[in-house]
Amino acid sequence: MAEAYEHIIKISGLVNRFGKQVVHDNLQLDVRRDEILGVVGGSGTGKSVLLRSILGLHGPNEGSIEVLGQTIRHHRPGPHKQWGVLFQGGALLSGLTVQENVELPIALHSNLPIETRRELAVLKIFMVGLDLNAAAKFPNELSGGMRKRASLARALALEPKVLFLDEPTAGLDPISATEFDQLLSYLKANLDLTIVMITHDVDTLFGVCDRVAVLVNKGIIVDTLDEIVRHPDPWIQEYFGDPRAMRARKAAKAKVEI
Amino acid sequence: MLDLGNVDNYLALDKQDRLLQISLKNDWVFANLAKLQELLDQIVPEPGTEVRFSCGGLKDFDLAGAWVLFEKSLDFEEIGVHSKFEGFRASHFKFLQHIIDIAAQKEYVPGFFDPQPTHYWRNGIRKLGQNTIEAVDSVGFIARSVLDGVKRPSRLVIGEIIRQVHATGAAAIPIVMVVCFLMGVVLAYQSARQLEQFGANIFMVDLVANSIFRELGVLLAAIMVAGRSGSAFAAALGTMKLTEEVDALRVLGLNPNQILIIPRVVGLMIALPLLTVFANIAGLLGGAFIGATVLDINWFSFTERLATSIQVNDVLVGISKAPVFAFLISVTGTLRGMQVKGSAEELGRLTTVAVVQSIFLIIVADAIFTVVYSRIGF
Repeated sequence: MAEAYEHIIKISGLVNRFGKQVVHDNLQLDVRRDEILGVVGGSGTGKSVLLRSILGLHGPNEGSIEVLGQTIRHHRPGPHKQWGVLFQGGALLSGLTVQENVELPIALHSNLPIETRRELAVLKIFMVGLDLNAAAKFPNELSGGMRKRASLARALALEPKVLFLDEPTAGLDPISATEFDQLLSYLKANLDLTIVMITHDVDTLFGVCDRVAVLVNKGIIVDTLDEIVRHPDPWIQEYFGDPRAMRARKAAKAKVEI
Repeated sequence: MLDLGNVDNYLALDKQDRLLQISLKNDWVFANLAKLQELLDQIVPEPGTEVRFSCGGLKDFDLAGAWVLFEKSLDFEEIGVHSKFEGFRASHFKFLQHIIDIAAQKEYVPGFFDPQPTHYWRNGIRKLGQNTIEAVDSVGFIARSVLDGVKRPSRLVIGEIIRQVHATGAAAIPIVMVVCFLMGVVLAYQSARQLEQFGANIFMVDLVANSIFRELGVLLAAIMVAGRSGSAFAAALGTMKLTEEVDALRVLGLNPNQILIIPRVVGLMIALPLLTVFANIAGLLGGAFIGATVLDINWFSFTERLATSIQVNDVLVGISKAPVFAFLISVTGTLRGMQVKGSAEELGRLTTVAVVQSIFLIIVADAIFTVVYSRIGF
């Protein structure tokens, strides 16, 4: 059953239009099992639209999307129990504590006794590096970084196979961002996770991503980092030629050599 | 799909002397967790035996599955049964053990798993005190700001006040007039039924006019406005609080209270007396309409009777209450809105509170007015 599909996500012929503006034109993307795919692109290239299309929150004009062998249709239930999503702002329910937020999907998708639900929720909260103190708090009482972690705990609540992250390190200070990157690598190493993340953070890109998908010219170019930095596309050259990107790349190389 | 009813689908037991071999099969994942727990709970080895978990036919295994096994092994340890894991993905257990180790180092937060009893009385009294202080504070602040505005009119945001007068007053005219018209109809009908017995139908005019002018016109207008604008104030300010707009104003060096609260309070205090006039007119029209169509009191005799039964002070009684009601509605609404903190649910709760409390305060104030006015013969 699990081996029936080779690619976790298969997108073919995706077209997204808003009025006369074409955002995606015949976009193809395959996401492999157990990889971390970083999605980058300039503003207005449709990163969020792509993510929303994959999640069934946006109905594309044309094309088909399959996640875990299931075809995604707009506003229809997808493989909810097998994917987790971390929204940019966290999107924790503000009226519930962190623990209740994590417990909610577990409670809705299982008939486990309350103690088990609670223990699983706490397990997930520990997993992302929060403690019981934070678990008892409401989202507005947490710092930005903790909110991201709490939101990640909720995304992981149902043991997902795919994790979608929308700008996971945006709005975090460099130290928190690095910690978050480490957390992602740590989780990836310990769980069978495929991660698709939209990011602008070059450190994250070089630090944790296996492959990078760049949205250019209404399409997408996917390759490993080493290959993609040599791609002739002007936007890619500009993006990866940026001093900060160069630094991040050097840092990543240095880490590998150690 | 798997048949959940079959025990053999998930594990097989094999007992040899002091060794209990538990072979796991198929999917030990979150989706089957309830069933797996139930199965594991049925296994009760004798003390002194050794349990060996092996993953012979295991297909899929995730953290939740690992967690139930780990928990079970801890339970076994407690009754003196040692357990071993063979052929597993070590990472799952290492990971679990790691998390649990971290958790053990963190300090236990009392009152989290066993909530403390809530002190309803104590909390209630504390809240009452807090609310009173905040209300007095708010009223004092508004008085000061209005005074400030009178001294330096440039500080008052005139445009915003006019906008509020329009939104809370002019826009409410149709609904308030319809409600008051119907109230006039009801009053005329009900009083006529009683007065008919004495052949004193014409006194219906006195009754309708007095009750509309002195009480019902302003009261209905105020209640409608509390529902329309009191809630709007609370929701608008609450949302601005949540989206940090209030903080943004503050760091821009602008006083959010002056910009957000004063225009609403002043605006509503202008709008409600004007709205009351419309309410009074509609109420009278309702009474006159019933008089003309049902009770044989034509428009002319209605007006004639009206002139003798109503003095100017009756009209003033009603209108004089309006600014006070407006003040109560706007202060309650804005105060509750500014109290919103943190969550969207809080916003909803405080909006409801704003409406309920302002209507309550209107009725209380009206009762006080009635007593005072009748004492001084106004």
